[in-house]
Amino acid sequence: MPELEHKMHIGDLSLFYDGFKALEDINMKVYCRRITALIGPSGCGKSSLLRCLNRMNDLVEGARVEGRIELDGEDIYAVGCDLTHLRRRVGMVFQKPNPFPMSIFDNVAYGPRLEGRKGRGDLEEIVERSLRRAALWDEVKDKLKQSALALSGGQQQRLCIARVLAVQPEVILLDEPCSALDPISTQRIEDLLAELKDSYTIVIVTHNMQQAARVSDFTAFLTIENQGEPGRLVEYGETEEIFTRPRDPRTENYITGRFG
Amino acid sequence: MNPKTADRLASAVLWMLGGITLAALIFVVAQILIRGLATALNPSFFLGRPRAFQEGGGVLPMLVSSIYLAVWTLVIALPVSLGAAIYLAEFARTGSKAAAAVRFCADSLASLPSIVFGLFGMTFFVIYLRWGTCLLAGACTLALLNLPVLMRSAEESMRAVPATYREASLGLGAGRWRTVRQVVIPSAMPGILAGTVLTVGRILGESASLIFVMMLVTRKTPSFNPLSNAAPLASNIWYTQTEAIIPDYRRVVDGGAALLLLLVLAVNLAARSLGKAYSRRKGVKTANA
Repeated sequence: MPELEHKMHIGDLSLFYDGFKALEDINMKVYCRRITALIGPSGCGKSSLLRCLNRMNDLVEGARVEGRIELDGEDIYAVGCDLTHLRRRVGMVFQKPNPFPMSIFDNVAYGPRLEGRKGRGDLEEIVERSLRRAALWDEVKDKLKQSALALSGGQQQRLCIARVLAVQPEVILLDEPCSALDPISTQRIEDLLAELKDSYTIVIVTHNMQQAARVSDFTAFLTIENQGEPGRLVEYGETEEIFTRPRDPRTENYITGRFG
Repeated sequence: MNPKTADRLASAVLWMLGGITLAALIFVVAQILIRGLATALNPSFFLGRPRAFQEGGGVLPMLVSSIYLAVWTLVIALPVSLGAAIYLAEFARTGSKAAAAVRFCADSLASLPSIVFGLFGMTFFVIYLRWGTCLLAGACTLALLNLPVLMRSAEESMRAVPATYREASLGLGAGRWRTVRQVVIPSAMPGILAGTVLTVGRILGESASLIFVMMLVTRKTPSFNPLSNAAPLASNIWYTQTEAIIPDYRRVVDGGAALLLLLVLAVNLAARSLGKAYSRRKGVKTANA
Protein backbone atom coordinates (compact mmCIF):
# COMPACT_ATOMS: atom_id res chain seq x y z
CA MET A 1 0.00 0.00 0.00
CA PRO A 2 1.43 3.43 -0.90
CA GLU A 3 2.36 5.97 1.73
CA LEU A 4 -0.63 8.23 1.72
CA GLU A 5 -1.71 10.76 4.26
CA HIS A 6 -4.54 9.31 6.32
CA LYS A 7 -7.52 11.18 7.63
CA MET A 8 -8.91 8.65 10.05
CA HIS A 9 -7.30 5.77 11.85
CA ILE A 10 -9.36 2.92 13.24
CA GLY A 11 -7.41 0.96 15.86
CA ASP A 12 -8.44 -2.32 17.52
CA LEU A 13 -12.05 -1.27 17.26
CA SER A 14 -14.74 -3.50 18.71
CA LEU A 15 -18.40 -2.59 18.88
CA PHE A 16 -20.97 -4.04 21.25
CA TYR A 17 -24.72 -3.77 21.29
CA ASP A 18 -25.47 -4.67 24.91
CA GLY A 19 -23.96 -8.15 25.20
CA PHE A 20 -23.69 -8.74 21.46
CA LYS A 21 -20.36 -8.13 19.82
CA ALA A 22 -21.01 -6.66 16.39
CA LEU A 23 -17.45 -5.82 15.32
CA GLU A 24 -14.11 -7.19 16.46
CA ASP A 25 -10.59 -5.82 16.18
CA ILE A 26 -11.01 -3.60 13.18
CA ASN A 27 -7.79 -1.92 12.11
CA MET A 28 -7.70 0.32 9.08
CA LYS A 29 -6.80 3.76 7.84
CA VAL A 30 -9.05 6.04 5.85
CA TYR A 31 -6.97 8.01 3.38
CA CYS A 32 -7.29 11.69 2.61
CA ARG A 33 -9.26 12.66 -0.47
CA ARG A 34 -9.84 9.09 -1.51
CA ILE A 35 -12.98 7.00 -1.68
CA THR A 36 -12.97 4.01 0.62
CA ALA A 37 -15.65 1.37 0.07
CA LEU A 38 -16.85 -0.98 2.79
CA ILE A 39 -18.24 -4.19 1.33
CA GLY A 40 -19.41 -7.48 2.76
CA PRO A 41 -22.47 -9.67 3.22
CA SER A 42 -25.57 -8.46 5.06
CA GLY A 43 -25.06 -8.30 8.80
CA CYS A 44 -21.27 -8.15 8.62
CA GLY A 45 -21.29 -4.81 10.40
CA LYS A 46 -20.17 -2.53 7.60
CA SER A 47 -22.91 0.02 8.29
CA SER A 48 -22.16 -0.25 12.01
CA LEU A 49 -18.52 0.47 11.31
CA LEU A 50 -19.49 3.48 9.21
CA ARG A 51 -21.69 4.75 12.01
CA CYS A 52 -18.79 4.51 14.45
CA LEU A 53 -16.90 7.06 12.39
CA ASN A 54 -19.14 9.97 13.38
CA ARG A 55 -20.52 8.35 16.51
CA MET A 56 -24.03 7.90 15.15
CA ASN A 57 -23.98 4.62 17.05
CA ASP A 58 -24.24 6.68 20.21
CA LEU A 59 -27.93 6.98 19.37
CA VAL A 60 -28.42 3.25 19.76
CA GLU A 61 -29.13 2.38 23.36
CA GLY A 62 -26.63 -0.08 24.74
CA ALA A 63 -24.02 0.54 22.03
CA ARG A 64 -20.45 0.56 23.35
CA VAL A 65 -17.13 0.92 21.60
CA GLU A 66 -13.69 -0.37 22.51
CA GLY A 67 -10.49 0.70 20.80
CA ARG A 68 -9.94 4.03 19.15
CA ILE A 69 -10.88 6.01 16.11
CA GLU A 70 -8.72 8.99 15.35
CA LEU A 71 -9.62 11.93 13.19
CA ASP A 72 -6.48 13.85 12.31
CA GLY A 73 -4.76 12.12 15.18
CA GLU A 74 -7.39 12.92 17.81
CA ASP A 75 -9.47 10.18 19.40
CA ILE A 76 -13.13 10.89 18.64
CA TYR A 77 -14.21 8.62 21.48
CA ALA A 78 -12.13 10.53 24.02
CA VAL A 79 -13.99 12.05 26.94
CA GLY A 80 -14.91 15.62 26.15
CA CYS A 81 -15.07 15.16 22.40
CA ASP A 82 -17.58 17.64 21.05
CA LEU A 83 -20.16 15.52 19.19
CA THR A 84 -21.63 18.49 17.39
CA HIS A 85 -18.24 19.51 16.12
CA LEU A 86 -17.37 15.93 15.16
CA ARG A 87 -20.55 15.45 13.15
CA ARG A 88 -19.93 18.68 11.29
CA ARG A 89 -16.47 17.49 10.35
CA VAL A 90 -17.71 14.00 9.50
CA GLY A 91 -21.01 14.31 7.64
CA MET A 92 -23.34 11.47 6.78
CA VAL A 93 -25.64 10.54 3.91
CA PHE A 94 -28.13 7.80 4.65
CA GLN A 95 -29.46 4.79 2.82
CA LYS A 96 -32.89 6.20 2.16
CA PRO A 97 -32.95 9.82 1.03
CA ASN A 98 -34.16 11.68 4.10
CA PRO A 99 -34.69 15.34 3.31
CA PHE A 100 -36.54 17.23 6.02
CA PRO A 101 -40.16 18.03 5.26
CA MET A 102 -39.16 21.60 4.54
CA SER A 103 -38.33 23.64 1.48
CA ILE A 104 -35.26 22.79 -0.59
CA PHE A 105 -33.60 25.98 0.61
CA ASP A 106 -34.29 25.28 4.28
CA ASN A 107 -32.93 21.76 3.93
CA VAL A 108 -29.57 22.97 2.71
CA ALA A 109 -29.55 25.93 5.09
CA TYR A 110 -30.30 23.72 8.09
CA GLY A 111 -26.69 23.00 8.98
CA PRO A 112 -25.34 26.53 8.46
CA ARG A 113 -28.22 27.88 10.53
CA LEU A 114 -27.22 25.57 13.37
CA GLU A 115 -23.88 27.30 13.33
CA GLY A 116 -25.70 30.56 13.80
CA ARG A 117 -25.43 31.83 10.24
CA LYS A 118 -28.59 33.79 9.68
CA GLY A 119 -27.89 36.42 7.02
CA ARG A 120 -30.05 35.91 3.96
CA GLY A 121 -27.27 36.72 1.49
CA ASP A 122 -24.82 34.55 3.34
CA LEU A 123 -27.22 31.59 3.37
CA GLU A 124 -28.20 32.07 -0.25
CA GLU A 125 -24.58 31.87 -1.23
CA ILE A 126 -23.98 28.70 0.79
CA VAL A 127 -27.13 27.07 -0.56
CA GLU A 128 -26.23 27.83 -4.16
CA ARG A 129 -22.64 26.69 -3.75
CA SER A 130 -23.71 23.44 -2.05
CA LEU A 131 -26.40 22.66 -4.59
CA ARG A 132 -24.00 23.35 -7.44
CA ARG A 133 -21.42 21.11 -5.84
CA ALA A 134 -24.06 18.36 -5.52
CA ALA A 135 -24.96 18.79 -9.21
CA LEU A 136 -28.52 19.70 -8.34
CA TRP A 137 -28.57 23.47 -8.77
CA ASP A 138 -29.79 23.58 -12.36
CA GLU A 139 -32.70 21.32 -11.58
CA VAL A 140 -33.94 23.17 -8.53
CA LYS A 141 -32.78 26.78 -8.79
CA ASP A 142 -36.28 27.99 -9.71
CA LYS A 143 -38.05 26.12 -6.96
CA LEU A 144 -35.95 26.55 -3.87
CA LYS A 145 -39.04 27.43 -1.85
CA GLN A 146 -40.84 24.21 -2.77
CA SER A 147 -41.01 21.21 -0.54
CA ALA A 148 -38.00 18.93 -0.81
CA LEU A 149 -40.33 15.95 -0.65
CA ALA A 150 -41.66 16.78 -4.12
CA LEU A 151 -38.26 15.93 -5.65
CA SER A 152 -37.49 12.52 -7.14
CA GLY A 153 -35.58 9.98 -5.09
CA GLY A 154 -32.32 10.67 -6.90
CA GLN A 155 -32.74 14.42 -6.52
CA GLN A 156 -33.56 13.97 -2.85
CA GLN A 157 -30.36 12.02 -2.33
CA ARG A 158 -28.30 14.70 -4.07
CA LEU A 159 -30.10 17.24 -1.88
CA CYS A 160 -29.01 15.27 1.16
CA ILE A 161 -25.45 15.39 -0.13
CA ALA A 162 -25.79 19.15 -0.67
CA ARG A 163 -27.12 19.46 2.87
CA VAL A 164 -24.01 17.74 4.18
CA LEU A 165 -21.71 19.82 1.94
CA ALA A 166 -23.27 23.00 3.32
CA VAL A 167 -21.63 22.44 6.69
CA GLN A 168 -18.25 22.03 4.96
CA PRO A 169 -17.30 18.65 6.34
CA GLU A 170 -13.89 17.06 5.89
CA VAL A 171 -15.15 13.50 5.68
CA ILE A 172 -18.40 12.31 4.09
CA LEU A 173 -19.87 8.96 5.09
CA LEU A 174 -22.39 7.38 2.75
CA ASP A 175 -24.46 4.41 3.89
CA GLU A 176 -25.60 2.58 0.76
CA PRO A 177 -26.65 5.89 -0.78
CA CYS A 178 -27.91 4.37 -4.01
CA SER A 179 -29.77 1.33 -2.76
CA ALA A 180 -33.14 3.08 -3.11
CA LEU A 181 -32.34 4.69 -6.46
CA ASP A 182 -32.75 3.77 -10.12
CA PRO A 183 -29.66 3.18 -12.30
CA ILE A 184 -29.62 6.66 -13.83
CA SER A 185 -29.80 8.37 -10.45
CA THR A 186 -27.17 5.96 -9.20
CA GLN A 187 -24.82 6.93 -11.97
CA ARG A 188 -25.29 10.61 -11.19
CA ILE A 189 -24.40 10.01 -7.56
CA GLU A 190 -21.34 8.03 -8.59
CA ASP A 191 -20.20 10.79 -10.95
CA LEU A 192 -20.73 13.25 -8.16
CA LEU A 193 -18.63 11.21 -5.75
CA ALA A 194 -15.79 11.11 -8.27
CA GLU A 195 -15.85 14.90 -8.36
CA LEU A 196 -16.15 15.33 -4.63
CA LYS A 197 -13.15 13.24 -3.79
CA ASP A 198 -10.87 16.07 -4.90
CA SER A 199 -11.91 17.95 -1.81
CA TYR A 200 -13.31 15.40 0.62
CA THR A 201 -12.43 12.11 2.19
CA ILE A 202 -15.26 9.72 1.41
CA VAL A 203 -16.27 6.42 2.96
CA ILE A 204 -19.10 4.52 1.28
CA VAL A 205 -20.89 1.38 2.33
CA THR A 206 -22.26 -0.50 -0.63
CA HIS A 207 -23.97 -3.77 -1.35
CA ASN A 208 -23.14 -3.40 -4.94
CA MET A 209 -19.70 -4.74 -5.81
CA GLN A 210 -19.61 -3.16 -9.24
CA GLN A 211 -20.24 0.13 -7.52
CA ALA A 212 -17.35 -0.42 -5.13
CA ALA A 213 -15.13 -1.34 -8.07
CA ARG A 214 -16.26 1.68 -10.09
CA VAL A 215 -16.05 4.46 -7.56
CA SER A 216 -13.61 3.53 -4.83
CA ASP A 217 -9.84 3.79 -4.47
CA PHE A 218 -9.69 1.51 -1.47
CA THR A 219 -11.90 -1.37 -0.50
CA ALA A 220 -12.38 -3.04 2.85
CA PHE A 221 -14.02 -6.44 2.91
CA LEU A 222 -15.78 -7.41 6.13
CA THR A 223 -17.53 -10.65 6.90
CA ILE A 224 -19.00 -12.81 9.63
CA GLU A 225 -18.11 -16.46 9.84
CA ASN A 226 -21.32 -17.60 11.49
CA GLN A 227 -24.53 -16.03 12.69
CA GLY A 228 -24.01 -14.40 16.08
CA GLU A 229 -20.29 -13.88 15.62
CA PRO A 230 -18.81 -10.42 15.30
CA GLY A 231 -17.92 -8.89 11.95
CA ARG A 232 -14.21 -8.85 11.15
CA LEU A 233 -12.12 -7.06 8.58
CA VAL A 234 -10.83 -9.72 6.22
CA GLU A 235 -8.94 -7.70 3.71
CA TYR A 236 -8.24 -4.07 3.06
CA GLY A 237 -6.31 -2.57 0.22
CA GLU A 238 -6.43 -0.76 -3.07
CA THR A 239 -9.65 -1.53 -4.86
CA GLU A 240 -7.89 -2.82 -7.94
CA GLU A 241 -5.86 -5.25 -5.86
CA ILE A 242 -8.87 -6.46 -3.94
CA PHE A 243 -10.89 -7.09 -7.06
CA THR A 244 -8.17 -8.57 -9.24
CA ARG A 245 -5.77 -10.25 -6.82
CA PRO A 246 -7.52 -10.85 -3.51
CA ARG A 247 -5.19 -12.44 -1.00
CA ASP A 248 -7.83 -14.07 1.15
CA PRO A 249 -9.99 -16.87 -0.30
CA ARG A 250 -13.03 -15.48 1.52
CA THR A 251 -12.64 -12.19 -0.33
CA GLU A 252 -12.32 -14.01 -3.60
CA ASN A 253 -15.41 -16.08 -2.91
CA TYR A 254 -17.40 -13.01 -2.06
CA ILE A 255 -16.41 -10.88 -5.02
CA THR A 256 -16.86 -13.71 -7.45
CA GLY A 257 -20.32 -14.23 -6.07
CA ARG A 258 -19.85 -17.61 -4.48
CA PHE A 259 -21.47 -16.53 -1.23
CA GLY A 260 -23.11 -13.58 0.52
CA MET B 1 -67.93 -21.22 2.14
CA ASN B 2 -65.70 -20.35 -0.78
CA PRO B 3 -63.39 -17.31 -0.55
CA LYS B 4 -65.46 -15.25 -2.93
CA THR B 5 -68.66 -15.62 -0.93
CA ALA B 6 -66.75 -14.97 2.28
CA ASP B 7 -65.38 -11.74 0.82
CA ARG B 8 -68.81 -10.64 -0.31
CA LEU B 9 -70.33 -11.45 3.04
CA ALA B 10 -67.59 -9.65 4.93
CA SER B 11 -67.82 -6.55 2.81
CA ALA B 12 -71.62 -6.52 3.13
CA VAL B 13 -71.44 -6.78 6.92
CA LEU B 14 -68.69 -4.15 7.20
CA TRP B 15 -70.55 -1.84 4.86
CA MET B 16 -73.65 -2.25 7.01
CA LEU B 17 -71.75 -1.49 10.22
CA GLY B 18 -70.26 1.60 8.61
CA GLY B 19 -73.75 2.58 7.52
CA ILE B 20 -75.10 2.23 11.05
CA THR B 21 -72.36 4.49 12.42
CA LEU B 22 -73.01 7.08 9.77
CA ALA B 23 -76.77 6.90 10.26
CA ALA B 24 -76.45 7.43 14.02
CA LEU B 25 -74.25 10.44 13.44
CA ILE B 26 -76.54 11.92 10.81
CA PHE B 27 -79.55 11.35 13.05
CA VAL B 28 -78.04 13.25 15.99
CA VAL B 29 -76.67 16.09 13.89
CA ALA B 30 -79.89 16.39 11.91
CA GLN B 31 -81.99 16.44 15.08
CA ILE B 32 -79.90 19.22 16.57
CA LEU B 33 -79.90 21.28 13.39
CA ILE B 34 -83.60 20.84 12.61
CA ARG B 35 -84.57 21.94 16.07
CA GLY B 36 -82.09 24.69 16.65
CA LEU B 37 -80.37 25.92 13.51
CA ALA B 38 -82.84 28.74 12.86
CA THR B 39 -82.43 30.01 16.40
CA ALA B 40 -78.68 29.56 16.43
CA LEU B 41 -78.20 31.63 13.28
CA ASN B 42 -80.37 34.44 14.56
CA PRO B 43 -78.11 37.35 15.62
CA SER B 44 -80.53 38.32 18.37
CA PHE B 45 -79.79 34.87 19.84
CA PHE B 46 -76.03 34.52 19.59
CA LEU B 47 -75.40 38.23 20.10
CA GLY B 48 -78.30 38.80 22.52
CA ARG B 49 -78.33 38.94 26.27
CA PRO B 50 -80.14 36.38 28.33
CA ARG B 51 -83.43 37.22 29.98
CA ALA B 52 -85.14 35.93 33.04
CA PHE B 53 -88.89 35.34 33.25
CA GLN B 54 -89.49 36.46 29.69
CA GLU B 55 -89.05 35.18 26.16
CA GLY B 56 -86.52 36.15 23.54
CA GLY B 57 -83.25 36.04 25.46
CA GLY B 58 -79.86 35.41 23.85
CA VAL B 59 -76.70 33.59 24.85
CA LEU B 60 -73.83 35.97 24.07
CA PRO B 61 -72.27 35.83 27.57
CA MET B 62 -72.38 32.02 27.51
CA LEU B 63 -70.84 31.85 24.06
CA VAL B 64 -68.05 34.16 25.18
CA SER B 65 -67.48 32.14 28.37
CA SER B 66 -67.25 28.92 26.38
CA ILE B 67 -64.56 30.32 24.11
CA TYR B 68 -62.79 32.04 27.00
CA LEU B 69 -62.84 28.85 29.04
CA ALA B 70 -61.39 26.90 26.10
CA VAL B 71 -58.62 29.46 25.67
CA TRP B 72 -57.63 29.34 29.34
CA THR B 73 -57.77 25.57 29.42
CA LEU B 74 -55.45 25.30 26.42
CA VAL B 75 -53.10 27.93 27.81
CA ILE B 76 -52.72 25.75 30.89
CA ALA B 77 -52.85 22.30 29.34
CA LEU B 78 -50.89 22.70 26.10
CA PRO B 79 -47.46 23.60 27.51
CA VAL B 80 -47.62 20.87 30.13
CA SER B 81 -48.86 18.17 27.77
CA LEU B 82 -46.46 19.11 24.99
CA GLY B 83 -43.55 19.15 27.40
CA ALA B 84 -44.50 15.76 28.77
CA ALA B 85 -45.01 14.40 25.25
CA ILE B 86 -41.56 15.62 24.19
CA TYR B 87 -40.05 13.92 27.21
CA LEU B 88 -41.88 10.66 26.51
CA ALA B 89 -41.28 10.56 22.78
CA GLU B 90 -37.79 12.02 22.53
CA PHE B 91 -35.88 11.96 25.78
CA ALA B 92 -37.08 8.98 27.81
CA ARG B 93 -35.03 5.83 27.29
CA THR B 94 -36.90 2.78 26.09
CA GLY B 95 -37.98 0.83 29.11
CA SER B 96 -37.65 3.89 31.33
CA LYS B 97 -39.62 3.35 34.53
CA ALA B 98 -40.42 7.03 34.88
CA ALA B 99 -41.87 7.17 31.37
CA ALA B 100 -43.88 4.02 31.96
CA ALA B 101 -45.28 5.54 35.15
CA VAL B 102 -46.24 8.74 33.36
CA ARG B 103 -47.98 6.77 30.62
CA PHE B 104 -49.78 4.56 33.09
CA CYS B 105 -51.05 7.57 35.06
CA ALA B 106 -52.12 9.34 31.89
CA ASP B 107 -53.99 6.32 30.59
CA SER B 108 -55.70 5.84 33.95
CA LEU B 109 -56.67 9.49 34.12
CA ALA B 110 -58.02 9.39 30.59
CA SER B 111 -60.55 6.74 31.56
CA LEU B 112 -61.89 8.56 34.63
CA PRO B 113 -65.35 10.09 34.27
CA SER B 114 -65.23 13.85 34.07
CA ILE B 115 -67.38 14.27 37.15
CA VAL B 116 -64.51 12.90 39.24
CA PHE B 117 -62.31 15.67 37.92
CA GLY B 118 -65.04 18.09 38.89
CA LEU B 119 -65.02 16.81 42.44
CA PHE B 120 -61.25 16.98 42.58
CA GLY B 121 -61.29 20.51 41.17
CA MET B 122 -63.79 21.54 43.80
CA THR B 123 -61.80 20.15 46.71
CA PHE B 124 -58.44 21.35 45.42
CA PHE B 125 -58.84 24.63 43.51
CA VAL B 126 -62.08 25.89 45.01
CA ILE B 127 -61.72 24.85 48.64
CA TYR B 128 -58.09 24.04 49.39
CA LEU B 129 -56.53 26.82 47.33
CA ARG B 130 -59.41 29.11 48.34
CA TRP B 131 -60.02 30.36 44.81
CA GLY B 132 -63.73 29.95 45.25
CA THR B 133 -65.83 28.93 42.28
CA CYS B 134 -64.58 30.68 39.19
CA LEU B 135 -63.76 30.28 35.52
CA LEU B 136 -60.08 29.71 36.31
CA ALA B 137 -60.95 26.78 38.57
CA GLY B 138 -63.03 25.45 35.68
CA ALA B 139 -60.16 25.89 33.25
CA CYS B 140 -57.72 24.12 35.58
CA THR B 141 -60.15 21.25 36.06
CA LEU B 142 -60.67 20.91 32.31
CA ALA B 143 -56.93 21.15 31.78
CA LEU B 144 -56.44 18.16 34.07
CA LEU B 145 -59.25 16.33 32.36
CA ASN B 146 -57.74 16.82 28.91
CA LEU B 147 -54.09 16.56 29.79
CA PRO B 148 -53.79 12.80 29.18
CA VAL B 149 -55.42 12.84 25.77
CA LEU B 150 -53.50 15.90 24.65
CA MET B 151 -50.25 14.41 25.86
CA ARG B 152 -50.74 11.00 24.34
CA SER B 153 -51.88 12.33 20.99
CA ALA B 154 -48.88 14.67 20.84
CA GLU B 155 -46.59 11.82 21.83
CA GLU B 156 -48.03 9.56 19.13
CA SER B 157 -47.64 12.30 16.51
CA MET B 158 -43.99 12.76 17.46
CA ARG B 159 -43.38 9.03 17.41
CA ALA B 160 -44.82 8.92 13.90
CA VAL B 161 -42.09 11.29 12.70
CA PRO B 162 -39.62 9.07 10.83
CA ALA B 163 -36.41 8.31 12.73
CA THR B 164 -34.50 9.22 9.57
CA TYR B 165 -35.38 12.90 10.11
CA ARG B 166 -33.80 12.79 13.54
CA GLU B 167 -30.74 11.00 12.20
CA ALA B 168 -30.32 13.58 9.47
CA SER B 169 -30.54 16.41 11.93
CA LEU B 170 -28.20 14.86 14.49
CA GLY B 171 -25.84 13.90 11.67
CA LEU B 172 -25.57 17.57 10.73
CA GLY B 173 -24.40 18.35 14.22
CA ALA B 174 -27.71 19.46 15.74
CA GLY B 175 -28.34 18.69 19.39
CA ARG B 176 -31.36 16.76 20.56
CA TRP B 177 -33.33 19.79 21.61
CA ARG B 178 -32.61 21.57 18.33
CA THR B 179 -33.74 18.47 16.48
CA VAL B 180 -36.97 18.31 18.45
CA ARG B 181 -37.70 21.98 17.97
CA GLN B 182 -36.80 22.34 14.33
CA VAL B 183 -37.60 18.96 12.83
CA VAL B 184 -39.76 16.78 15.06
CA ILE B 185 -42.34 19.30 16.25
CA PRO B 186 -42.92 20.91 12.83
CA SER B 187 -43.35 17.45 11.30
CA ALA B 188 -45.69 16.36 14.09
CA MET B 189 -47.69 19.59 13.94
CA PRO B 190 -50.64 18.23 11.92
CA GLY B 191 -51.14 15.49 14.50
CA ILE B 192 -50.68 17.83 17.44
CA LEU B 193 -53.23 20.20 15.91
CA ALA B 194 -55.70 17.37 15.38
CA GLY B 195 -55.39 16.35 19.02
CA THR B 196 -55.84 19.94 20.12
CA VAL B 197 -58.97 20.36 18.04
CA LEU B 198 -60.46 17.22 19.56
CA THR B 199 -59.70 18.63 22.97
CA VAL B 200 -61.33 21.95 22.15
CA GLY B 201 -64.42 20.01 21.17
CA ARG B 202 -64.39 18.25 24.51
CA ILE B 203 -63.89 21.50 26.43
CA LEU B 204 -66.77 23.19 24.62
CA GLY B 205 -69.02 20.24 25.27
CA GLU B 206 -68.07 19.62 28.88
CA SER B 207 -70.66 20.43 31.52
CA ALA B 208 -70.71 17.76 34.24
CA SER B 209 -67.36 18.52 35.84
CA LEU B 210 -67.98 22.26 35.75
CA ILE B 211 -71.01 22.07 37.99
CA PHE B 212 -68.72 21.79 41.01
CA VAL B 213 -66.10 24.38 40.20
CA MET B 214 -68.02 27.26 38.63
CA MET B 215 -71.21 28.96 39.67
CA LEU B 216 -73.27 28.71 36.55
CA VAL B 217 -74.55 32.23 36.92
CA THR B 218 -76.53 33.70 34.09
CA ARG B 219 -74.52 36.80 33.35
CA LYS B 220 -76.17 39.62 31.46
CA THR B 221 -72.88 40.78 29.99
CA PRO B 222 -69.72 38.82 29.14
CA SER B 223 -66.93 38.92 31.70
CA PHE B 224 -63.26 38.48 31.00
CA ASN B 225 -62.17 38.18 34.59
CA PRO B 226 -60.96 34.59 35.04
CA LEU B 227 -61.81 34.80 38.73
CA SER B 228 -65.45 35.56 38.06
CA ASN B 229 -68.19 33.02 37.57
CA ALA B 230 -69.88 32.30 34.30
CA ALA B 231 -71.97 29.67 32.59
CA PRO B 232 -70.45 28.28 29.40
CA LEU B 233 -72.83 27.26 26.64
CA ALA B 234 -72.93 23.54 27.39
CA SER B 235 -73.57 24.05 31.09
CA ASN B 236 -76.17 26.64 30.24
CA ILE B 237 -78.04 24.13 28.12
CA TRP B 238 -78.17 21.72 31.03
CA TYR B 239 -79.14 24.48 33.46
CA THR B 240 -81.80 25.98 31.22
CA GLN B 241 -83.32 22.60 30.48
CA THR B 242 -83.58 21.64 34.15
CA GLU B 243 -83.99 24.78 36.19
CA ALA B 244 -84.43 27.98 34.23
CA ILE B 245 -87.61 29.94 34.62
CA ILE B 246 -88.10 31.24 31.13
CA PRO B 247 -91.08 30.37 29.02
CA ASP B 248 -89.06 29.70 25.85
CA TYR B 249 -86.49 27.43 27.47
CA ARG B 250 -86.87 24.89 24.65
CA ARG B 251 -85.83 27.48 22.14
CA VAL B 252 -82.79 28.47 24.20
CA VAL B 253 -81.77 24.82 24.70
CA ASP B 254 -82.20 23.79 21.06
CA GLY B 255 -80.57 26.95 19.77
CA GLY B 256 -77.72 26.54 22.24
CA ALA B 257 -77.12 22.96 21.14
CA ALA B 258 -77.04 23.95 17.48
CA LEU B 259 -74.77 26.89 18.24
CA LEU B 260 -72.40 24.57 20.11
CA LEU B 261 -72.31 22.23 17.15
CA LEU B 262 -71.53 25.09 14.77
CA LEU B 263 -68.84 26.35 17.13
CA VAL B 264 -67.10 22.98 17.20
CA LEU B 265 -67.39 22.78 13.43
CA ALA B 266 -65.91 26.26 13.08
CA VAL B 267 -62.98 25.35 15.34
CA ASN B 268 -62.38 22.25 13.25
CA LEU B 269 -62.36 24.15 9.98
CA ALA B 270 -60.21 26.91 11.42
CA ALA B 271 -57.66 24.39 12.64
CA ARG B 272 -57.61 22.73 9.25
CA SER B 273 -56.89 25.91 7.36
CA LEU B 274 -54.38 26.89 10.04
CA GLY B 275 -52.63 23.56 9.54
CA LYS B 276 -52.62 23.99 5.78
CA ALA B 277 -51.26 27.52 6.02
CA TYR B 278 -48.57 26.27 8.38
CA SER B 279 -47.61 23.46 6.03
CA ARG B 280 -47.43 25.84 3.09
CA ARG B 281 -45.26 28.28 4.99
CA LYS B 282 -42.90 25.55 6.12
CA GLY B 283 -43.01 23.62 2.86
CA VAL B 284 -44.05 20.72 5.06
CA LYS B 285 -45.75 17.81 3.40
CA THR B 286 -45.72 15.03 5.93
CA ALA B 287 -46.69 11.48 5.32
CA ASN B 288 -49.04 11.35 8.27
CA ALA B 289 -50.83 14.59 7.47
